[in-house]
Amino acid sequence: MSQSRKGSIIVRRLLQAVPVIVLSTFIVFGLLKLVPGDVAVTLAGDNASDARIAEIRHIYGLDRPFLVQYGSWLWKAVHGDLSSSLVSSESVLSSIERCLPHTMLIVVLAMLLALAIGIPLGIAAASRPGSWTDGFVMTIASLGVAIPNFWLGMLMVAFFSLDLNWLPATGATPISEDFWDAIRHAILPACALAAGGVAEVARQLRSSLVEILSSQQVRTLHAKGLRPSSILWRHGLKNVSVNLLTVISLLFNRMLAATVVVEAVFAIPGMGNLIVNGAIHRDFPVVQGVVFTMVLIVVALNLLTDVLYSILDPRIS
Amino acid sequence: MTNSNRMAGMLSRREIMALAGGAALAGMTGLPAFAQEAAKKGGVLKVAAPANPSSLDPATGGAGSDHSILWTMYDTLVEWDYTTLKPKPGLARWSYPDSSTMVLDITQGIKFHDGTDLDAEAVKFNLDRNRQDQRSNVKADLTSVASVEVTGPLQVTLKLKNPDTALPAILSDRAGMMVSPTNIKALGNDTNRKPVGAGPWKFVSWADNASIVVTRNETYWRPGRPYLDGIEFAIIPELATALRSVIAGENEMAFSLPARLKPVIDRAKNLQVITAPTLYCIQLYFNYARAPLDNVKVRQAINFAIDREAFVKATMGGLGEPATMTLPSSHWAYDKSVSTLYPHDPAKAKKLLTEAGFKDGVDLTIGSYTDQDSVRRSEVLQAQLAAAGIRLKFTRGTIAEISAQFFATEKKFDVLLSAWTGRPDPSMTYALGFDKGAYYNAGREADPELVKLIQQSRESEDLTERAKVFAKIQRFVMENGLSAPIAFQYELDALSKKALGYKPNLLGKPKFENMHLG
Repeated sequence: MSQSRKGSIIVRRLLQAVPVIVLSTFIVFGLLKLVPGDVAVTLAGDNASDARIAEIRHIYGLDRPFLVQYGSWLWKAVHGDLSSSLVSSESVLSSIERCLPHTMLIVVLAMLLALAIGIPLGIAAASRPGSWTDGFVMTIASLGVAIPNFWLGMLMVAFFSLDLNWLPATGATPISEDFWDAIRHAILPACALAAGGVAEVARQLRSSLVEILSSQQVRTLHAKGLRPSSILWRHGLKNVSVNLLTVISLLFNRMLAATVVVEAVFAIPGMGNLIVNGAIHRDFPVVQGVVFTMVLIVVALNLLTDVLYSILDPRIS
Repeated sequence: MTNSNRMAGMLSRREIMALAGGAALAGMTGLPAFAQEAAKKGGVLKVAAPANPSSLDPATGGAGSDHSILWTMYDTLVEWDYTTLKPKPGLARWSYPDSSTMVLDITQGIKFHDGTDLDAEAVKFNLDRNRQDQRSNVKADLTSVASVEVTGPLQVTLKLKNPDTALPAILSDRAGMMVSPTNIKALGNDTNRKPVGAGPWKFVSWADNASIVVTRNETYWRPGRPYLDGIEFAIIPELATALRSVIAGENEMAFSLPARLKPVIDRAKNLQVITAPTLYCIQLYFNYARAPLDNVKVRQAINFAIDREAFVKATMGGLGEPATMTLPSSHWAYDKSVSTLYPHDPAKAKKLLTEAGFKDGVDLTIGSYTDQDSVRRSEVLQAQLAAAGIRLKFTRGTIAEISAQFFATEKKFDVLLSAWTGRPDPSMTYALGFDKGAYYNAGREADPELVKLIQQSRESEDLTERAKVFAKIQRFVMENGLSAPIAFQYELDALSKKALGYKPNLLGKPKFENMHLG
């Protein structure tokens, strides 16, 4: 495949991303406005009268038409200004700068764990389908999918933090401040998040690997006299790599979403925490800022996946 | 007085507390005697706080959970007694030379954290800002003030439009928190993110939903105070997680915990558990401007149908006080004679319903919230009222959503199951909840007699006189069944063995001024 074709994929994808970003922030903005209750109630405080709430709406420009409010947010966002929280007046950009590293650390660590454990399990299961190992791995995988991550998180805290006192139960340290302490804080939440991922990776890898290994191509390789291990590693895995890539990219997105719950359980001041608090108070600049960032990340990730696809399998364009 | 003394005192006074039974007693005997230990200076206290503040500017913020954090940085003109909430001098002493004048005499030599003098000019600046600034959320508290005049270097005189003896209590709340005028002139409303007050600790940093740090004010006006070098708040809204952080030793204190976590605290051997009464009143709000709750007999029937003692046992693990009015028994304005109006009597409730024309019972729509505790409360209540033929149809949602639907313009539901968080002065509670046009009076209607009584409650300066007026108000509200108070929630806090000197107060919002580390 030529360099220019790859370039054109990237340009096309980036152009497609623009409407995705506008549409998703618009939908979220609309949802926030549709749900009853608004930020003016929070801003007006405990003693507020109807008149005071109306006055607050006016002061903060919340009484302007919906499209005008969205437009003014978008206009600022396009110019790199994500506004400030209406409630606490912290700049949304600085909130995100502080929260994003915490979330990314957990998700990346969880991803690494899911792959490091899930891939060997999947291979072990696929290389002897129907065996005792296979049954064991698939049972573990089913459990992993079924167990809610917040529950697992609480169990792990009870055991590893409160009983054994090995790892911190709550909080997070910025990775820029103290690398190892940041990792220590991220291990338990990452494990809780990874459990479902391990299961997902193992199951998907097993099923596609089983399919490949029972294909005619592999029978030919056997007939050619290749050693089974070489068939598995060189031909089998190479063929499932595209499937695996799809799983990884979907899993990454799913893990980003799951941080909302896991961060609450571990009191991690990350993006999930930020958007939950924003949504509770209908603090739309915060919610919009988080959605905007998340959409950017997901779009970038999908783009990267597409580029990797075309490298792994030249037939995909 | 130590906490255990105070609770024991309250128990002996109030036979009704016997019902709280085992759980409450067990909690009390576990309380350490704080007063005997000599306070040691130094150390940083780590606290799990349940909510991100709405603002660190007292004038523009709005959430009741802000106070615990605001009090670390801001001192108030007036303070109160922890147990009864009787007002007492803070930064200033007050007097009423006549019924339309209030004089504040400021203590000499107090400075804000930035070195600005806390003098008459500074107090006038603050009060005028609180009264007039467009973004001020305490304007409504100060409507009785016509003007604020500087009448001496350390004296301001408030001219009042009408007699208002609730002002001392109001000045112990947000309206009396003094902010450095220099800081406001420099930053405007951005003082929210860089607050400067005159409190025992100075502001260091605030990261939204993550942490707030304050450090010792070396020039604090009270000699020998504060004990702590600083406080680090970790903001943890998930309260079970907050408690875990204390069990794991990552924080030394978690406060405002729900009663269902009490067994968890008891199981952890390294913790102190604190329980104490608060003004926080779980209650039913009625929209009595329309049928069927415009009929006083239906409202009375609901009050008779509620088994408050069982409610406290079933939903609060005994960590509460049955509420027979909107003030708890230890409050200075509590009137005992009102407390016997509504014994649990389903038969009487049925009879009242029949008299009101609801022979086959009555169907009521009711709003409530989605959290675990609210759901449990609503289930218990539903069963209790069903026994008297009152059928509740619940709609659940978030606090913001459901309470706006009930109180604001939509006027959904006949009843709202919610809570009243309490106010420093009882007149605020009655004015906000029952006055004509008040926001927390969903129907906006009020009997002229009640309106007059609420006004009267602010006329005398003498607390005994005021208590008499409040007794009349309480009787009026309860006899007319304008709401159904159910139970006062106890404050529940978990502290590590190192965190000493903590005293709960009736507002249920912790102050850290007496705390020190062992």
